[in-house]
Amino acid sequence: MPSDSGFRRPQVERRSLPGLIVALLALVVVLAAPALLPGFKLDYLETAISFAVAALSLNLLVGLTGQLSIAHAAFLGVGSVVAVELGSRGLAWPLVFLGSMLATAGAVAVVGLPSLRIRGLQVAIGTLVFQAFAVDLANSTGVLAATRSFNRPGYLQSAGHIYYLSLAVLALVAFLLRRIRVTRAGRSFVAVRDVEARAAAFGITAGRTKLLAYALSGALVGLGGALFAFQQNSLGSAVPFGLQPSLLLIAVVVVGGARSSAGIVIASFFIYALPSLAPSGLSKYIQVVFALFLILAVLFQPEGIGGVLKDLNQRLGDLVAGERERPNPRPMPTDPVEKAHSATALRQVPRSLSGRLPVPALLSARDVTVQYGGVQALQGLNLEVRRGEIVGLIGANGAGKSTFFNAVSGLAPVRGSIRYRNRELTTAPPANRSGAGLVRTFQDMGLVRADTVRENLLLSQGWLARYPAAAGILGLAGTLPTEKELRRRADMALDLFGLDHLAEERLGDLPYGTMRIVEIAAAVAAGPDMLLLDEASAGLTPEEANQLGYRFNALRDELSLTLVIIEHHVPLIARVCDYCYCLESGRLIAEGTPAEVVAEPDVIESFLGAGSLKPARGSV
Amino acid sequence: MIGSEIVTGLTIGAGYSLLAVGVVLVYTSTRVLSLALGEMGAFGFYLGVKFYLHGVPLLGWHLSAFEAGITAIVVGALLGFLVERFIMRPLTARPGIDKLIVTLGVALVLALVELNFISFDPYPAPPFLGSGHFVLLGATLTTSRIAELATAAGAAGVLYLVLNRTKLGLATRATTSDPTVARLLGVKVNTVYRFAWVTAGGLAGLAGALVSNTNGVLLPFSLTTALLSSLAGAVVGGLDSLGGAIAGCLLLGVVQNLAQPYGIAYESGITLVIVLVVLLVRPQGVFGRSSAF
Amino acid sequence: MSAAGSVPNPLLEVDRLCSGYGSLQVLFDVSLTVGPGEVVALMGSNGAGKTTTLRTITGLLKTMSGTVRLDGRNITGQPPEALVPQGLVMVPEGRGMLRELTVQENLELGAFTNSDRSSVARLMDQTFTTFPILAERRQQKAGTLSGGQQQMLALGRALMAAPRLMLVDEASLGLSPIMTETAFNLIAEVNSTTGAAVLIVEQNVLALDLAHRAYVLEKGQIVATAEGAEVRSMQGRLREAYLGAGH
Repeated sequence: MPSDSGFRRPQVERRSLPGLIVALLALVVVLAAPALLPGFKLDYLETAISFAVAALSLNLLVGLTGQLSIAHAAFLGVGSVVAVELGSRGLAWPLVFLGSMLATAGAVAVVGLPSLRIRGLQVAIGTLVFQAFAVDLANSTGVLAATRSFNRPGYLQSAGHIYYLSLAVLALVAFLLRRIRVTRAGRSFVAVRDVEARAAAFGITAGRTKLLAYALSGALVGLGGALFAFQQNSLGSAVPFGLQPSLLLIAVVVVGGARSSAGIVIASFFIYALPSLAPSGLSKYIQVVFALFLILAVLFQPEGIGGVLKDLNQRLGDLVAGERERPNPRPMPTDPVEKAHSATALRQVPRSLSGRLPVPALLSARDVTVQYGGVQALQGLNLEVRRGEIVGLIGANGAGKSTFFNAVSGLAPVRGSIRYRNRELTTAPPANRSGAGLVRTFQDMGLVRADTVRENLLLSQGWLARYPAAAGILGLAGTLPTEKELRRRADMALDLFGLDHLAEERLGDLPYGTMRIVEIAAAVAAGPDMLLLDEASAGLTPEEANQLGYRFNALRDELSLTLVIIEHHVPLIARVCDYCYCLESGRLIAEGTPAEVVAEPDVIESFLGAGSLKPARGSV
Repeated sequence: MIGSEIVTGLTIGAGYSLLAVGVVLVYTSTRVLSLALGEMGAFGFYLGVKFYLHGVPLLGWHLSAFEAGITAIVVGALLGFLVERFIMRPLTARPGIDKLIVTLGVALVLALVELNFISFDPYPAPPFLGSGHFVLLGATLTTSRIAELATAAGAAGVLYLVLNRTKLGLATRATTSDPTVARLLGVKVNTVYRFAWVTAGGLAGLAGALVSNTNGVLLPFSLTTALLSSLAGAVVGGLDSLGGAIAGCLLLGVVQNLAQPYGIAYESGITLVIVLVVLLVRPQGVFGRSSAF
Repeated sequence: MSAAGSVPNPLLEVDRLCSGYGSLQVLFDVSLTVGPGEVVALMGSNGAGKTTTLRTITGLLKTMSGTVRLDGRNITGQPPEALVPQGLVMVPEGRGMLRELTVQENLELGAFTNSDRSSVARLMDQTFTTFPILAERRQQKAGTLSGGQQQMLALGRALMAAPRLMLVDEASLGLSPIMTETAFNLIAEVNSTTGAAVLIVEQNVLALDLAHRAYVLEKGQIVATAEGAEVRSMQGRLREAYLGAGH
């Protein structure tokens, strides 16, 4: 099993009063800087702020979406050059900033295009080549000539004003990143980072999502570039935009901590401001030590400075308020009958969200064939699921059960017809299928372990919140009420499964059995008509598996869900299912009630081994 | 005329192959893209040149130019050993992006040390190989270019023989195919990883000496810039195919040389376009295998 | 549950082994023994933990608790590459073909830890005699062989290490009934000619025909054992385990 990336192991925030006080003090010092420092030292701080913005924008790619750009200093340069060009032509400075953002977003998106096609890290090589090209281009044309200047407006000429503007931009970028993180866009980025192959099950198209991440990162780094140009008034050399600064930006993101804007800002200060503010002999040591920290951070402290801060914050909080009780990770067994009101509320997806009335579910597969290269994973499968049924899919290893689920959710190439509610599924793009009311789980956990339980339940409702990313980030046009509704549904689903006390826990920290139950809760939160559960009992203790059977019945009875369950543990199927299909090597070999199916000779032979029902052979 | 341009381009491409061989070796055995190789080689040569100029500390003895080159190879190999043992091995279970970032970290540390503690300005270009020329098909090739070509061909040849005729080579190919199965057969995969990194480091040191000699420049990141062309060539030709990567480098050398008269931005510009197109159309490279992308 | 009729001086002794993946425990106090020259079957349905058991014994998976002894020596947690020179080899699930390497190269790798060239050559000849089909295809890439041929190559490769104990993980996977029978026959033959002990992990009950002793694994626990004549009659017990009580 793959282990978590070190970077993606954030601790959940705990608020503490001492931490808040320290933060406020830091804020006061930062705001008072123009009064405390001479003009030229303030310049260094300003440069640090521009590069902090660039680092935050890089974090959107690296930390949030798992994409590496080794050219972000070059992209900063693109923003700066465009800003100087526009500014020198007399455009008003807010428009200049906007222009830089758009131009840089475009540049980054173009260089990031290969991510549409590949999952691997070769895209990073593309960015590296761009880095070299950008510097060559800048040096060979006249764009960096010192003669071109930004033309700052009169009311923003003083050092203090420029400094406060820089702080405002930094605050804005941090705010935008936070907004991205808590809306659908951010959840898609994280899903692409951690479970890319499965993201379609949440209504996410991986390629487009990555491209959006590149564009957004580009917009933010363009803003940083425009700010830099504003501060410098004119450029003059490509040195700030070269390979070394790009590598330093990556170091800042890693040392600062991929989940912590505060950590990144602090790290930016260390590498961009401190060497200039410190006595001259020291600056070269600071640089080398910082680069060493990059390696050490990857090895030993992947959460970086941000992680250290969170740890300190928690300890201070514990010291003042006493140790916090950790909630019991076992989900409390709940009597679903008591929760009937939550159940029916979940079942009814509001018109405003889905624009569609609930309709009886009917899944029918005709002559479904799935072929991978030379291997027939499914051959001519005919299968039907009626509304309100619990249908079981059994079969030995490699029978094609998960392949069938993959065919239905669009993760496998299919010939034949799969109709759901009389709509042909095979022609619909994978990301749209969960929108039809069909939700599935995965044999080996399709959720994001680095996120909290509640965040995962928000992610799984992806298809219910189809607002454009920009609208979500800026909180426009009803996206805020939508997010609120998603939260409400998530809480209801948690309540239904007895998980509400675990809402803020990181999924990866929970015991395996509990994680599986969260996955089912996440599926239910999406308000489906039909649930496809792949080996839901795998890894559960016998009592948990027993409870699960009870829950399946409740899902059908209380939530009017139709279930298709894949199980290895045949006795569970026998207890719970109305109807049962048995597959072997991609073909259907038996169907009927569980009792009928399990008694069929072909089925017995399939489980005990081919040829096992022949008369007993003599010993070898 | 065009013939001489192509020949020159081929020799440039051959120079890129030297680093590409190391990249492919490390990538196929360990699935790690080592972006540190450029600086690892440069660092070794930096030390070599320093000892050539100022003598070995505590011994006071000045190295000859040839010995400076040997230092580059030895230090490069040593760095390879250290990086594999202490940085890459603890990270085996981590995702690719972490490993890629850490190689960038190694490159950054080495470059910063070079910049702040070992720099010399200007680069003294130890007289390695004399300054003769050869003329081939109308193209003028300096001895250093010839040396690059010969070394690249020699390195590729030796590596091919090692991979296909020795037990270590067999173990390496087994590890490339499936590390778990290789372990079940008794192959010590850690030894294979060490071999890959040490060899790549030594080759990088050699490349550092030769490339700096040809270009007459040794600066922090100058070799990473050279590595970039090797990487681009390997991506185009196929990151998991030794022959493919070399072919990609040769192609890139020719294309870059043809673009050169138009300006330096055209050289890197056309490299960028080629890389982006290959990644979009055939991500595994022209000669690469389709798996694992 | 203690192993029925434990063999004195067992070659392999697994004692109360617990292991799993991260927070998921899969094996609960698994104990079994294999005597020199014996064929022992570890039976179970999917998800029972059969592959996990073998991976833990060979050190691919970390042990949570318990010990594994080979010839009385504690080998718990030793990596697989250290076990081959001690005479323990595994034929992994799916046969573990090195697809880009030739048949001959795969076989050479089987004897990787053997530095005696002449003995390796002799073993190679023996293997080609036992598996003439492999001799015909010695220069073919392993990925181009059929399933049955790959199974032969996997067994031949294991034999090249002249093992004292062979662990075989689901040899029948993906094979037709006839090929499965052939594979099992080959394993039995290997056992009788070379004297190598075999721990065969299987879902297919036909494996019981070869076994001197058998264990049944269910949800990570040993739930039944048998030896000698009783082994054949385990079939019914297995049906119960796979398909539920009452059959």
